[in-house]
Amino acid sequence: MERKINHVLIANRGVPAVRIMDTCRDRRIKTTAVYSNADRLAYHVRLADQAVCIGEAPPLESYLNMEKIIGAALKVGADAIHPGWGFLAENADFAEMVEDAGLIWIGPPPKVIRAMGDKVQAKRYAKQANVPTIPGIDNVKDIEEIKRWIREEKVDFPIMLKAAKGGGGKGMVKVESEEQLPLAFNQAKSEAMKAFGDDALLAEKYIQKGRHIEVQVVADKHGKVVHLFERECTLQRRNQKIIEEAPSPSIDEDLREEICFTAVRLMREIGYASAGTVEFIFDSATNKFYFLEVNTRLQVEHGVTELITGLDLVSLMLDVAEGKKLPIRQSEIKANRWALEVRLNAEDPINFNPSFGTITRLQLPQGPAVRISQGVYEGADIPPYYDSLIMLIMTAGQNREAAIRTMDRALGRDLRVEGVKTIAPLLLAIIRHPSFRAGHFSTTFIEEHMDELVAMFKEKSTEDEVLKIAKFVARVSALGPQPWM
Amino acid sequence: MWNIVKPGMTPKEIVKTLRELDGVMFTSTGMRDAGQSDYKNRHRIYDLATLAPYYEEMGLFSAECHGGARWHVGIMNRREDPFEEIRILREKMPSVLLQTLIRETNLWGYRPYPKNVIEYVVARVDIDVWRCFSFLNDIRNMRTVAEIVMKRGRLFEPAISFTQADWTTDEYYLSVVDEIVSLCGGVDEIVLCIKDMAGVGSPKRIAQLIDAIKQKYPDLVIHYHRHTTDGLALPAYLAAAQAGAKILDVEEDSLTRFYGQPPILGVHAYLEEAGVKVHLNRDAAEGAVQKVREWINQYAWAESPFKGLDHNVTKHKMPGGAFPSSFEQAEKGGFLHLMPQILRVMSLYNRIVKYFDVTPGSQITWVTCSGMVNKYAKERGLKGVEHLIRLLTKFVEEVDQDLDKMEPWEREELLTIFRNAPGDFKNLILGKYGRLPQGWPADWVYQSAFGEEWQEKIKERTDKSPLETVKPDDLDKLRQELEEKIERKPTEEEFILYLMHPKDAVEYIKFRDEYGQAPLVLPTNVWREGLKKPGDKVEFELNGKPYTIELVSVGAEHEGLIHVVMKVNNKTRVYTVETPRAKKKEVKKAVGPNQIGAPISGNVWRIGNPERGSLKVGDIVHKGEEIANIEAMKMENVVVAPFDAQITAIHVKLNDTVEEGQLMFELKPLEE
Repeated sequence: MERKINHVLIANRGVPAVRIMDTCRDRRIKTTAVYSNADRLAYHVRLADQAVCIGEAPPLESYLNMEKIIGAALKVGADAIHPGWGFLAENADFAEMVEDAGLIWIGPPPKVIRAMGDKVQAKRYAKQANVPTIPGIDNVKDIEEIKRWIREEKVDFPIMLKAAKGGGGKGMVKVESEEQLPLAFNQAKSEAMKAFGDDALLAEKYIQKGRHIEVQVVADKHGKVVHLFERECTLQRRNQKIIEEAPSPSIDEDLREEICFTAVRLMREIGYASAGTVEFIFDSATNKFYFLEVNTRLQVEHGVTELITGLDLVSLMLDVAEGKKLPIRQSEIKANRWALEVRLNAEDPINFNPSFGTITRLQLPQGPAVRISQGVYEGADIPPYYDSLIMLIMTAGQNREAAIRTMDRALGRDLRVEGVKTIAPLLLAIIRHPSFRAGHFSTTFIEEHMDELVAMFKEKSTEDEVLKIAKFVARVSALGPQPWM
Repeated sequence: MWNIVKPGMTPKEIVKTLRELDGVMFTSTGMRDAGQSDYKNRHRIYDLATLAPYYEEMGLFSAECHGGARWHVGIMNRREDPFEEIRILREKMPSVLLQTLIRETNLWGYRPYPKNVIEYVVARVDIDVWRCFSFLNDIRNMRTVAEIVMKRGRLFEPAISFTQADWTTDEYYLSVVDEIVSLCGGVDEIVLCIKDMAGVGSPKRIAQLIDAIKQKYPDLVIHYHRHTTDGLALPAYLAAAQAGAKILDVEEDSLTRFYGQPPILGVHAYLEEAGVKVHLNRDAAEGAVQKVREWINQYAWAESPFKGLDHNVTKHKMPGGAFPSSFEQAEKGGFLHLMPQILRVMSLYNRIVKYFDVTPGSQITWVTCSGMVNKYAKERGLKGVEHLIRLLTKFVEEVDQDLDKMEPWEREELLTIFRNAPGDFKNLILGKYGRLPQGWPADWVYQSAFGEEWQEKIKERTDKSPLETVKPDDLDKLRQELEEKIERKPTEEEFILYLMHPKDAVEYIKFRDEYGQAPLVLPTNVWREGLKKPGDKVEFELNGKPYTIELVSVGAEHEGLIHVVMKVNNKTRVYTVETPRAKKKEVKKAVGPNQIGAPISGNVWRIGNPERGSLKVGDIVHKGEEIANIEAMKMENVVVAPFDAQITAIHVKLNDTVEEGQLMFELKPLEE
């Protein structure tokens, strides 16, 4: 049954909200933003056709407040809700509530979200579909259980503790030794509770020097499943990806085909619909990949896939949500570019401490091979309550080297953010690092190379210098000759 | 072809050219000593660089553009560094020899630097002519500078510090020249400078000295440096040239005030009329003189408050370069009215402790004498100062410095007169700067300076050069230290600035990190006063592109802040300027071992831990126990107790936003 979407409420903020609005506006679909009191003047609110306040700044009172969001959608007369990523994007209860309220949920069926949101169940499905999984134990009640598993299976540290309902690096703690276990266990439990409302944990063997490769899949409600190739998301810090690219430089054509069709097989098995991702960890030492999880949502790094294939994933999600058949066949999906994405977080590039405040200057990179997905504007405030992502910068080229070269220019010479610290110097240092250029890196690359990475800094530009001079002119104009003169 | 000497020539070639020259050449001090002597070194490279095209054509021996106090004042007051000045001048006058003034082991600072610092710094400064002087005429102290400069193939120009006194005889100076010639391995690769830094040499005396040197060393090229302070500079220059000096120091006529060098065009005309040929492109020199008039009026505020020539300089001997800064200090310190008395005390003092009043000696003299006068003025008023002068006059002029001929109470007073003298004075008489030219001062000076322990102190005296006695610095450690202070890796040049003047260099580097090239591109009126009214603009070029900054409005002050609206290349921007009245938001940081700081910036969402709930002052916590939790961007960060302790203070409330390092808890360790 097809149902046309005319008005979407976006249950998110910042970069994802803005990204979704862009496609909605392309398709002449009306958009409604929701916002917390801390976000009254946020960029996504400015950009939407209308906006509804849904509560106080803490996420539980606003962006995680399901009743308020659905109430807002009904009030403004929206016919669909897009959850973006993060917040309620993988909350099956919310998806159900949306559908129960008579609204269209722009995402996979709630039962699929529920099944995949539970890592234990997801692993079971994977095994059923003949997808290799990482050794580990589910449903960990206490530390003793973990210790027993370590003893019986002769597992070496480090191990990973993960929120059973988790994703996106939250509620994930790496444990280096048995002594760390108690504190790590409590932290993982508490973060899991806070982020996902459920403190169930699982423990898994940690794949050393693993690479993180994921496959983008889109499926419609008519049983058609296609993949849009893979992405490499190995570069992480604190288990959060910060640089992604497509295709993956780590695998060859045969492996690519195998991993992509494995993902399609799994998604067909679980009855997936909408856009989703199957994540794998790839052990380059043994050339083996293991199932990690299914992300039942649009992902932050979806843009690189869009750049290499020329498709609009949000638009495909809207088509699927409207009940249409996928407008493309697998054989029509071709990747003919290399694309790179960096996540610009408002954080100290050395210690990753979050940086709040007002963006006093924002100069964006431009040019034919650059795509910017921004969540802020010059003058915007960054409140301390939410994710530190303020912008995605993507570049594309006919090969990896060209994409990196453009990214180097975009970060080093064009991008300027003042007022808050960003990790731009670190990102630049990474893409200039010989090992990154050669494609030799693992999930621990940043930790291993931190000292070299912080030693590299952005290039000076004349525009920056002029603003410094202007700052001085402002000072003497206001205060007159300086006492030290 | 006016440029008969230029960068790249070997010292030998330069010396040969000078020997063969019929007549004299000029060194222009327009870019350094002129500004130091009459304008407190405030002339900005922005303005001085306008003279460079003329210098390029002028046929100068050299342009003195570096060294002396210009380095230090540059980073402190003009926010320019000497390295960028050299680069700017090299580009605009590539054929002109650039000259510095360096103070042997004191380099461009005021204290003896260790040998390894001297070697490091001198090897890295791109200067062609190195005029090097010792305020003690202790030639041993020049050795390291001489070695490095000569090894680099640059011209070393050792100077003898000149003054007129009963002990500064031809024999004395010849012995100094002997030492110089022996240090430099002959006379073929050096130019000798006679440094008459106060301008006290009478025409006759100078002619006689040059003649004496020329008789002993006929091939030695002599460069006479002089100030105009006594009013006799022109005849002194003629006398020097006729006696055989080859190079004379001059400055633009339009720059000339009272304490700098003689006027270039006047000297040129006077010498030519007297039959001495002058190698000078006069048209270019006239052009430079005119150019100065375009900007010199912007420096009226920097001129010395003590106007006019002063023939009494032959008594107090304050050097030209020290005049404006001394008067500036007197003005700031509110004792400008005591200057005549201070100058009088100086003239008596320098007959008791004999050395040359030039940096750092002049500063020692100044601080010692002004301190002495101020002490008397404070305690006993002007009468006290007069009493001091009477006492010293009697001692020096009537009893020939014979302590026994003074009344007992006068003796007692003299024996405490140096007690409050500065540490540098005490170091000087202990030999820490090198050997004094006339040997140690009389014993009573030590008694006066050190009191009861004076005999111990006399045993501490050393006649070794500071090159031997000052311990080497750990350069790697200093570099690390600077990196910590400026929070980034310093450049090589920044490191050298730091080696010279640690505190001021850090301030300078931070200023430049914040305001970039403002000191180099802004015209002097904008640099000092800013833009005055709406619509005023400043236009400049940076890296070959045009820029404009236009003032839109300056807001009223509110809570210590002023908002300035400007158009920067047509884009409107608002700048918030803090006035001295701005309230600083103070965040207390954890510093002591018992203070616990926030590990990360974020929200304090829990004080205590889930097991025992919230914590309060007086609670006992155990090592490793979670005592608070900070959430930042949805990640949790545990704060743990580092040892078993009792909580004595909690400085945060639930849901406070904290900064990294902000004080959260104070603990008292539990006794075992």
